[in-house]
Amino acid sequence: MWGTIEVVLTYSLVLGALYLLVSLGFSIICGVLRIFHLGYAYLFTLSVYLTWMLMKELGFGLIPALLGMVVIQFAISYAIYKGIIMKYVAQEEIILTGLLLISIIVEQAVTYRYPIQAGVFIQTTIIDGSTEIGSAVISNQLLAGAAIAVILTILFILFFLKTKIGLAIRALSQDIYSSRLIGIHVEALYTFTMFLILIPVIIGTLMVAPVWAVDPTMGSLYMTTAILVAILGGLGNIKGTIIASFLVGFTHATVSFVLGEPRFMNFSALVLVMIILMVRPQGIAKSEALW
Amino acid sequence: MVDVEVRRDRIIIRYKGKKWDWILEPRYWRNTLIWSALLILFPLVSYFVSPILLNTVITANLYAAVAIPLALMTLGTGRINFGPNFFIGVGGYTAALLSIAYGWGPLKTLPFAVIASLISALLFSPLVIVARGLYYVLLTLLLPLVFLEITFIYTDIFKGDVGLAGVKTLISTGMVKVNFLIAALISMLIMLLYLWVVNKVIKSRYGLIMAAINDGEEVAHGIGVNINKVKILAFVFASGMIGVIGWFYAHYFGTFAGITYLPLSFMIKILLVIFIGGRAQVFGCVVGGYFIAFLEMILITTLGPIQPVIFAIILTVLLFALPEGLFGIYRKRRYREYMPTLHVRR
Repeated sequence: MWGTIEVVLTYSLVLGALYLLVSLGFSIICGVLRIFHLGYAYLFTLSVYLTWMLMKELGFGLIPALLGMVVIQFAISYAIYKGIIMKYVAQEEIILTGLLLISIIVEQAVTYRYPIQAGVFIQTTIIDGSTEIGSAVISNQLLAGAAIAVILTILFILFFLKTKIGLAIRALSQDIYSSRLIGIHVEALYTFTMFLILIPVIIGTLMVAPVWAVDPTMGSLYMTTAILVAILGGLGNIKGTIIASFLVGFTHATVSFVLGEPRFMNFSALVLVMIILMVRPQGIAKSEALW
Repeated sequence: MVDVEVRRDRIIIRYKGKKWDWILEPRYWRNTLIWSALLILFPLVSYFVSPILLNTVITANLYAAVAIPLALMTLGTGRINFGPNFFIGVGGYTAALLSIAYGWGPLKTLPFAVIASLISALLFSPLVIVARGLYYVLLTLLLPLVFLEITFIYTDIFKGDVGLAGVKTLISTGMVKVNFLIAALISMLIMLLYLWVVNKVIKSRYGLIMAAINDGEEVAHGIGVNINKVKILAFVFASGMIGVIGWFYAHYFGTFAGITYLPLSFMIKILLVIFIGGRAQVFGCVVGGYFIAFLEMILITTLGPIQPVIFAIILTVLLFALPEGLFGIYRKRRYREYMPTLHVRR
């Protein structure tokens, strides 16, 4: 009994932290731009496959390939912001569908060039082996990922609370018109936010890529988790996102280790989201502000 | 007593305080009749000219037949459902499972497919009340994905990505070409029936109420509309209609696999039928359905394995290049009806 509790608690914390890393970007973009980045899935796919492409097709080493991938990701984010989000901000259904289409284009292009049989793998392991925590045995790479997730979240919170740009972004997340009135450069901050969300996504993908499955549809899976966490947390509120990530992590760990049915992980999280929405339609935290 | 009044442009029948109009003036129904006749003639001509086209005609009809109730659902709930394919899955799996288990034909499985779709829609109908705007979009987006996951979990029931085989076929005359032709005509009839019903609903008093809800729920509530009732009715009724298409897919192909209909790639096609067709205009759904089905067919036959990438790129360009959809090009010249703007955020 105690052994099961240990396993559930350990995995709840580790999975929760990793889900936080996966969903932080999605929540921030919900909170600041007030849109759902339904193209979010392509960010994960590109993080792995662009690196692989630069290594295999252009003969780059791992570090230059990673740097190249980051530069290309930034360029694509900029183009998407300027070409779609900025132009169609008043027509949300167009933004949602357009972003989803971009995600599908990336997924299909990757499937065409590197099908699952291509055996894509990037060696971004920081620590090999596994650690025993009570009765739980967990990969060191995932533990490192969880630790990085916590540190990165703290850095993000400090950035939003302690810096002037963070303050401006929080103001923007509350009221766009008042923000313009007090001289905040809204477009520049939106672009900056588009870049900012790439950090947790890229780090998260690189941390879990050596341990979890890599395939062209991996982005959809991570986006599903990000969506569940964002809805549960209250769409764009970082406090809510943190609580929701660990709640989803706890649900996944309970379903996997207590019920012994890891296949029900996403289903259980969806049921949890629906139950919480019935009680609190606005999610765990109010979504009117980023913090 | 039945009171019949004949006017220049219409016949009006009154009975116990109720009134029915039958419009005689050709300009009100001429274009619809011409287009319907052309649509029905198309599979007949294809049968003799190029039977391969029949399959594309069926696909086009089914895309439109999903998009039309989705347009009604969008209007009636004031929200965009990003997972209409969930109900295709429910209807299709119900029909396929019953057909395989009991050897039932399409006529016997149809009511059960509709009932299963209606019940599942009723179960999820609280979503249209508790979840607003983007919450609703995301939750509905997840429904088919979770259902797909369930089909992989219970492979003993749903047979995973292989799908259920051995479903009794819709038509079996012994001649493949004739089977295709009859299936094309049935799909056409379903689509035209949906078009007629939904158009009637939208133009009726209920359509006006739905438009009021779409424009402003609070305002609609303020003028005495029972918004929850209307939203749930629109959601459930349209879901039942979409479930029928799942039933059709199962019996038409003789197999049903969730992996074909539940992923985002299928759902996005349905949404694009609506957007590229004409922003939830019911007639635009037909235009969009035919356009997307034929574009897909042409690209498959000419481009090979890279088709999904090019197809998605073309659709993305069209999504942004046609702000009012294909039907909007026609409507700009002949503006006829008012369709409220869709809002996702509410």
